[in-house]
Amino acid sequence: MTAVWIEVGHFAALTALVLALLQTGAGIRGGVAERPVWLRVAKQAALMVAVLLTVANLSLVISFLQHDFSVRYVAMHASLRLPVFYLATALWGGHEGSLLFWVWLLSLFSAVATWRHWTTHPRSLPWLLAILGAILVGFLLLVLFLSSPFERLFPAPADGRDLNPMLQDPGMVFHPPFLYLGYVGFSIPYAFAMAALIHGRSGAEWVLAMRRWTLFAWAMLSTGIVFGAYWAYYVLGWGGYWAWDPVENASFMPWLTATAFLHSVMVQERRGMFRTWNLFLIITTFALSLLGTFLVRSGVLSSVHAFANDPGRGVFILAFMAVVLLFSFGVLILRADLLKSDAARLDSLVCKESAFLFNNLFFVVAALTVLLGTLYPLAMETLAGAKVSVGAPYFNKVFVPIMLGMLALMGVGLVIPWRRGSGRLLLRELAPFLPPALLAPLLAWFGGVRHPYGLIGIGLVVFVFATHARDFYRGVRTRRRQEGVSLLSALGRLIARNRRRYGGVITHLGILLMVVGFIGSGLLHQERDLVLRPGDVTDIGPWRLTFETLRPVARDNWQADEAVVRAVKGEVTRVLLPQKRLYHGSPQPMAEAAIYATWREDLYVVLGDAVGEGGRAFRIYLNPLVRWIWWGAGVMALGVGVALTQGRRLPRRKEPVGEG
Amino acid sequence: MGWKVSVVLVVTGILILFALGLGNDPRVIPTPLINRPATDFTAPALDGGEAIHLEAQRGRWVLLNFWGSWCGSCLQEHPYLIELGKKAAARSDFVIIGVDFRDTIEGGRAFLQRYGATGYRHAFDPEQRIAIDWGVYGAPESYLIDPGGRIRLKHTGPLYAGWFEQVALPLFAQGGGS
Repeated sequence: MTAVWIEVGHFAALTALVLALLQTGAGIRGGVAERPVWLRVAKQAALMVAVLLTVANLSLVISFLQHDFSVRYVAMHASLRLPVFYLATALWGGHEGSLLFWVWLLSLFSAVATWRHWTTHPRSLPWLLAILGAILVGFLLLVLFLSSPFERLFPAPADGRDLNPMLQDPGMVFHPPFLYLGYVGFSIPYAFAMAALIHGRSGAEWVLAMRRWTLFAWAMLSTGIVFGAYWAYYVLGWGGYWAWDPVENASFMPWLTATAFLHSVMVQERRGMFRTWNLFLIITTFALSLLGTFLVRSGVLSSVHAFANDPGRGVFILAFMAVVLLFSFGVLILRADLLKSDAARLDSLVCKESAFLFNNLFFVVAALTVLLGTLYPLAMETLAGAKVSVGAPYFNKVFVPIMLGMLALMGVGLVIPWRRGSGRLLLRELAPFLPPALLAPLLAWFGGVRHPYGLIGIGLVVFVFATHARDFYRGVRTRRRQEGVSLLSALGRLIARNRRRYGGVITHLGILLMVVGFIGSGLLHQERDLVLRPGDVTDIGPWRLTFETLRPVARDNWQADEAVVRAVKGEVTRVLLPQKRLYHGSPQPMAEAAIYATWREDLYVVLGDAVGEGGRAFRIYLNPLVRWIWWGAGVMALGVGVALTQGRRLPRRKEPVGEG
Repeated sequence: MGWKVSVVLVVTGILILFALGLGNDPRVIPTPLINRPATDFTAPALDGGEAIHLEAQRGRWVLLNFWGSWCGSCLQEHPYLIELGKKAAARSDFVIIGVDFRDTIEGGRAFLQRYGATGYRHAFDPEQRIAIDWGVYGAPESYLIDPGGRIRLKHTGPLYAGWFEQVALPLFAQGGGS
């Protein structure tokens, strides 16, 4: 009986391909002929595709749960001993399944967008459906014919190869889906952008839809990136969270351009400026998402993330990407003039508009530096035949100054008024923040921080925090005066009345917390490599560590050496248990770091190989302020959540309502 | 106008770069062994039979395939190796030798039993002596040695359907010293 499910799923996916073709065709027909009949056909097709792909994904999950090793993908990524939790999530543990998961999300989004925007966006909808349908067709072709997760093995093996041990961690379970939600989420604003270019109406409505979808996708992508960093930190056991690996960069680039878009779209909403630029940003964001998918799956770049290499698949993905890129940027170039901004002049150099302009400049330059660093090794290898790798030193050198610039703008941008500001006014507004912003680095200098970037960073963090805190303070004070309510409820009301704005401000605070974490862990970390025998003692920072003993432990599908390490700092005593695990089915031992984390610092102990007689290699890190990064990410998520709850009730001002 | 031209240039530039880059395999680590005489070895056989001696195959093309029962990608190339084993059996100028390294004898035998015998024999190299001599970096890796005993090709990663026709036969046609 077991074998039936996967065939049901396979058939559902094939049918979905046919219906996605129908969705595209009917969408185009509906858009050109403006006939609602075709539009309804496209809508039904989109909904059916979502249902069918849900079935396809479920069939694969069921095959995993039933240990159906006649399915090649299951045999490659699961085993009888794999815990149920990882069985269900092994769906995205490999190339084929994760691609199926990708299309599934796309079909769900396309169904949700159809349903949400059915009445509100009659002009955009046919094109939206056509474009999403076309992307679905492209990915379904790849899933079904070049990397099918439905492939069968005869005879079926008795047991599978098991899931890659690195992926057997909760952090890894959540990292890919959030990342995909982000990548795939950008397809909706992208489709809106293309629809706007094709139908050529410059109404305000699609801008709002685009902004909300982008915000959602951006939040998912951010979460995905943070989960990835978290996973790297806790599972890979190298004491860091970001390595500027090509695939990390691939997820970071769309994040940067999407962030730029989220800022500059405000200028479009307020002043009707930057229209073409915003479309460019959103198309670029989606293009970079595709690029990320391409880099991981075509085998062009080597990376910890890369899937197995297959030339045929690479050619297809490249061809698909070429079509999407040339079509999108081609349409943008040919049609951009239709959407010319009405009021295309900045009123003054010192105004919020120009602050956003600079913000965009920084983000786009940042994305370009990352792109350059990522593609440079490929270019060198292809054109000059040389193997080079571009790593952290390049990125840190180029990226940190840009980040500091962004940080400064974050503070200034909040204070500066729309339309018309003046240097004098700005100076008067900023004056109260300058003393603390200068004092903080001075204190840090006496505290032992010597790195210039660290000092500037600390000053900027204090400065930005002060501007944001005063913003809240002023708002709350006004509310309390006007309404005579308590501090907390005044704060609550303040945020509730303008969730978009304060959601943004909260997000900024989250970023600020993360920056504190970056500065602390980047500049102040200590690291020690040494060999200890049971009974040996070593010091790192304020901690005294004693290696007490080594013992064997075993669980479902792994066995390990576990070291018992007692860490003492003043009154505090903690027992840390770093492990060296050996998963069955894999020869590669995995280091499971033991971490004692506080708000102040992380004590991070990694157990290494046996050395000499009774000795074990240890690597011990003291990473200050790492927790602030995860907290910051939480605050950021909260901020986005607040901003997302403000739906369509945007004060409409005098812009024309609706599109058609 | 300027931005339109730049966008076109950047986009096509990136696409062309990818198209060119598609051909190269990032995992190919240049090996200094190419066109060098193959390092000889004599090793016990996985099947427990007569020891395997590389030099004894002189005069024929030899595909030396390093694998282990612990390696997922080896499973991926396994069906193709079975097919290739049949090809080798039918030709007089081509043999295959497997090297099962960093493995246990039970593990290696169980792998072949479960996923199918290859029709050719395997050297057993638990201490990785051969693997280290040959500069093996991961698994699977394959070397093609010409009848004159020179290493002509190193392939990193699983062999794929069509490899023999696309890669090996052209090399055979070029011939190799004797």
